[in-house]
Amino acid sequence: MSHLLEINNLSVKFHIFGGTVQAVRGISLNLNKGETLAIVGESGSGKSVTSKAIMGLIPSPPGEIATGDILFEGNDLVKYSKKQLQKIRGKEISMIFQDPMTALNPTMKIGKQIMEGLIKHQGMTKHDAKKRAIELLQLVGIPNPEKRVDEYPHQFSGGMRQRVVIAIALACNPKILIADEPTTALDVTIQAQILDLMRDLQKKTGTAIILITHDLGVVANLAQRVAVMYGGKIVETGTLDEIFYNPKHPYTWGLLSSMPKLHAKTDKLLAIPGTPPDLSNPPKGCPFAPRCPYAMKVCTDHMPEYTEMSSTQRTACWLLDERAPKVEPPATIGVGGSNND
Amino acid sequence: MGRYILKRVGYMLVTFYVVITLTFLSMKMLPGTPFKFANRLTPEQLNQLKHYYGLDQPIPVQYLHYLWNMLHGDLGGSFQYGMQPVTEFLLQRFPISMELGIESMIFGTVLGIVLGIISGIYRGKFLDWGTVTLTVLFISIPSFIFAAILQYFFSVKIQLFPVIGWDSPMTHVLPVISIGVGVMASIARFMRTEMVEVLNQDYIVTAQAKGLSTVAVIYKHAIRNAMIPIVTVIGPMTAAVVTGSLVIENIFAIPGIGSQFIDAIVTNDYPMIMGTTELYAALFIVTILIVDILYGVIDPRIRVSGGKSS
Ligand SMILES: Nc1ncnc2c1ncn2[C@@H]1O[C@H](COP(=O)(O)OP(=O)(O)O)[C@@H](O)[C@H]1O
Ligand code: SF4
Ligand SMILES: [Mg+2]
Repeated sequence: MSHLLEINNLSVKFHIFGGTVQAVRGISLNLNKGETLAIVGESGSGKSVTSKAIMGLIPSPPGEIATGDILFEGNDLVKYSKKQLQKIRGKEISMIFQDPMTALNPTMKIGKQIMEGLIKHQGMTKHDAKKRAIELLQLVGIPNPEKRVDEYPHQFSGGMRQRVVIAIALACNPKILIADEPTTALDVTIQAQILDLMRDLQKKTGTAIILITHDLGVVANLAQRVAVMYGGKIVETGTLDEIFYNPKHPYTWGLLSSMPKLHAKTDKLLAIPGTPPDLSNPPKGCPFAPRCPYAMKVCTDHMPEYTEMSSTQRTACWLLDERAPKVEPPATIGVGGSNND
Repeated sequence: MGRYILKRVGYMLVTFYVVITLTFLSMKMLPGTPFKFANRLTPEQLNQLKHYYGLDQPIPVQYLHYLWNMLHGDLGGSFQYGMQPVTEFLLQRFPISMELGIESMIFGTVLGIVLGIISGIYRGKFLDWGTVTLTVLFISIPSFIFAAILQYFFSVKIQLFPVIGWDSPMTHVLPVISIGVGVMASIARFMRTEMVEVLNQDYIVTAQAKGLSTVAVIYKHAIRNAMIPIVTVIGPMTAAVVTGSLVIENIFAIPGIGSQFIDAIVTNDYPMIMGTTELYAALFIVTILIVDILYGVIDPRIRVSGGKSS
């Protein structure tokens, strides 16, 4: 009850020409103060739509929140008016985006882009807001902030721009920061720097983070809890340890075994053969069934219920039914180095 | 910036010189002579006339002669108007065409931008649909038909505006609208496309995610970015409108430069053709320079200072 954010049975649909895309299909999640929750899954599994729903930024039309509620400090954001949402966005809940090259307005000085939120939410004067913008640039590790505050996005490299995007998001000390693939568009070395920065900033500010990624390496770096998303559903959630060392869902196994070991740069998720389901015609049963090596007859016809593996781990898979054959996870699950304890 | 402009002015002069030369040469290839009843003149008389107008000299000599005079501000005299200086005609008639062109551009651009923005914001809704229909209509109706319709209703039927002429502000209304609606339609279409594109950009989502109001997002983030490319079309369009308003000038009996130009071509009035073409070329070239400089001013990515970026 005392969760900072609690999502219950959220469904998001897009009514497009020729049908309806059921991007998110009845997910439930919660987030506590100051923690980092990772949402992992392949592209198209509904991660970004979930984060946009939390921000109240589902474009409508064609989008629609069909069912569910999103309780922020107990208040249902789904019922909020546009005006009420504008007071939450950027102030209580902020977001950083995947591509720093396009997330900033190319014709506005970055200082001004940071100041906008401060002026709107905290009623600062321009002068104070600029001072704060310089502080924020310093905070996110941009050298020479007094000068750079008056520069335009094209004068910054990709990594530096992502720092600016983070500064914008953190400007008003939000309680929740949603980071949608914050490092995907960056070089590997820059990725590590941005993740370090996020970890540091979280320590300093106590902001809760929802980290959206398809990269389990990033998850291991930052998150305390993980939700694995597939085909618009959450198929497994648990603590970081549970997901990495005691995963129960075949899709989680697939993700883990396709994780690049050490520094081998393989094509990450191609290791699971097949493609995600078509969400304009979602499967009746388990969405992973067509690709699952353990699929049984029941899987295609009925969506499995969640099985509580512990007070923190829940898994939706028929293998956990007592009538199912016992299956061991594949030996290929290598967990970020040695795991021989 | 200063250096950049200087360089551009240099290119401009070269372009201008090329235009003069090409016009001069192509004019020499025009069929016929400037003399009205050439076929009734004796060869002797013809030679006398040619000598009088300097047309008996070899073409390179004529060419250099023309350039030399031009450098001294002398564009020659009109063959049709008793050698009255061409510059006099241009100075007298060009401002009228310019006035008509600029007024039409302001009218069309302002309305076009507003319509385009509204259309882009309400994409797919009724307002958008209405605007798009209107623009298609205005782009496909030729301006002279539109002018005739306006004349019929507003001048003949309800006699609100004078039928023809170019003096009081009232005489400006119909010609400006006739040319302006086409401009408006083109600009509106262009602006709508830009607006739709900008509204789909990631930085619009960033702005929304800051909690800015819809009005602030559109006003501060969308419109400015959508308007930048408009600058590139406004320049050439102005030049096109100023140089292309001859039909409208004709319909409303406006003593602009357009009708003069037609006359000059029909009668092989070489100096007049040259003078008018040069004026048009100069207008075009200068407009493009202004657009480039303006573009640099409003778009920080192209700001032409030293080209530094990191
Ligand atoms: N605006 C939209 N209109 C129609 N379909 C959409 C829209 N946004 C997302 N979708 C669909 O929703 C599904 C989930 O997308 P998304 O949440 O972006 O996936 P992820 O972020 O996990 O890669 C996809 O099938 C996508 O095509
Ligand atoms: S429910 Fe069936 S198909 Fe789905 S993951 Fe479990 S075993 Fe595989
Ligand atoms: Mg995504």
